Amino acid sequence: MYKSQVRGPLVLGNKTLGQISKDITAPLYATVPNWWKIGFALASLFTALGLWAIYVTVSQGIGTWGVNNSVGWGWAIINFVWWIGIGHAGTAFSIFLLILRQKWRTSINRAAEAMTVVAVGCAALFPALHMGRVWLAFYIIPYPNTRGPLWVNYNSPLFWDFIAISAYLLISLSFWYLGMIPDFATIRDTTTSKTKKAIYGFLAMGWNGSTYHWTRFESLSKVLGGIAAVLVVSVHSIVSTDFAVSVIPGWHTTLFPPYFVVGAIFSGFAMVMTLMVIIRKLFKFQEYITDSHLNAVSKILIFISLIMGTAYLTEIFVAWYSGNPFEMFTFFHNRITGEYTFQFWAMFVCNAIIPQLLWSKKIRANLKIVFIISIIINIGMWYERFNIVVTSLANDYLPSNWAAYQPSFVEICLYLGTIGLFATGVLLFFRYVPMIAISEVKSVLKFGNEKPKKKGAHDGQE
Amino acid sequence: MDKNKIIGVFDDEEDVVKCMKKMLENNIKITEVYSPYPVHEILELKKSKSILTIVAFIYGILAALLVLSFLYYTSVISWPLNYGGKPSSAFPSFIVITVVLTIFSVTILSLFTFSVRAKVWPGQDDMVIDERATDDKFVIYIEKYEGLDEQKLTNIFNEFSPSEIYEK
Repeated sequence: MYKSQVRGPLVLGNKTLGQISKDITAPLYATVPNWWKIGFALASLFTALGLWAIYVTVSQGIGTWGVNNSVGWGWAIINFVWWIGIGHAGTAFSIFLLILRQKWRTSINRAAEAMTVVAVGCAALFPALHMGRVWLAFYIIPYPNTRGPLWVNYNSPLFWDFIAISAYLLISLSFWYLGMIPDFATIRDTTTSKTKKAIYGFLAMGWNGSTYHWTRFESLSKVLGGIAAVLVVSVHSIVSTDFAVSVIPGWHTTLFPPYFVVGAIFSGFAMVMTLMVIIRKLFKFQEYITDSHLNAVSKILIFISLIMGTAYLTEIFVAWYSGNPFEMFTFFHNRITGEYTFQFWAMFVCNAIIPQLLWSKKIRANLKIVFIISIIINIGMWYERFNIVVTSLANDYLPSNWAAYQPSFVEICLYLGTIGLFATGVLLFFRYVPMIAISEVKSVLKFGNEKPKKKGAHDGQE
Repeated sequence: MDKNKIIGVFDDEEDVVKCMKKMLENNIKITEVYSPYPVHEILELKKSKSILTIVAFIYGILAALLVLSFLYYTSVISWPLNYGGKPSSAFPSFIVITVVLTIFSVTILSLFTFSVRAKVWPGQDDMVIDERATDDKFVIYIEKYEGLDEQKLTNIFNEFSPSEIYEK
């Protein structure tokens, strides 16, 4: 098989196979660190705030939000698109890099997938609540009903969205879980704690690492990977058609699907970067998540940032080139200058300009700066969605329709609530699940390394 | 109970592959091989094959047909709705939803098929031969059968520096 001469070893520190299991499962056995307790308390607090906001929204209605007749989509849809975007990284990581046979994904994919599952869960909350009567949400499922039978509108992107996101959640969850089955078996077989053995044994669902299992495991990964690759592209394309099929200036453009997909992967990779830097620091996984891994993610970020910049400029160019006065107005008098100047330039600077710093090798090597840039990208991507949703709706064709939009306290709490939910999910993941795909890392141990040490002692967790 | 399992434990995948080759040359039936991660040479030597990919493809075709007929039934036969005079049977705009629903169905069906065929199911007995196989060892397991030359087998095992050979 061809071996890359460029990429260094994927796992540093002359590990043996046994050591890998031990290192990666170590956080499961360690006493709960203080930062975890504090983090969890904070995350729960935010989640509680979110629950309160959900209670208010459901019991009193959408009137508690800042949305109005003109700006019907406020923070809820901004946050929905933002979370879905973040949720694109896991599958993008696992699937695209799996298909491209990039071995360096192995240390990162598990965390990225976990992030995906939690982020998509957070995202799904918003459209559900935005329906107003969330208890009637099942009306969107096409089933023979007593209302006619009245079927849903299959030509509506909103319905496509519902199915696409459900499918995406299902496939990300199954892909994530499938990858964890062999690792749960590892925990089951190495632990000395009876409770852990029982719990992880149940979760491992009878996995024993036989060729019989591995063959089927690989086949299923291939199947899920293949179809999820299609889904990654289609989910956000569909989200973008929610906007693009309307006739609102600034939305009605064929650029939207690729622009949204790339934007989603951009924010997702930025969030992966944020998370990996944290995991690496907190759990001392430097030998697994090496500098070269983070370097590779940084390079992808620059590349996508260039695409984002091109997309922004293309949008502006087409607005001018089309000669459509409404498009011109939206872009030149509403975004670039005018009421929403700050949001537009925040988006442009955060997504297209600041990431260019990563061209410098020195900056890529300085994880503090990389961490800050990754956060900036996430903020920038949020502004991008704000820019799309609010600027176009606030000032559309009829000046008599124009309205300003301010989020209400409930809306802000709802957003903070999903951040809390995300943090809670991630913290639980840190604590109870192997954060790095043990079996996959083992399979790339030899890559770029000398033969692993002979006679690696099998020593269970003490 | 009679010990009828011969188990060879190895540290390195390459030794296992070589050992398996030698065993196959000597017509020894390998019952199963366990490894902490998938090693393609081992899977090939074991001739372990899965038709799941083909099955999934068939699921996909069936699901797509089923989804399309469902869409046709609901929007043309059961209750046609007039959206601004657009045709009820709107094939082009059915494509996106067909793709997504097909993916949805294939995922569920493939997962179910995998669970049933690979016997990976909640509450499934794990039948672990050697606990170290999910950690850091590669395990060749041979069930004794009539005509098995045990001495020869042990010799072959020993040729490839196993960390342990035992009967169970």
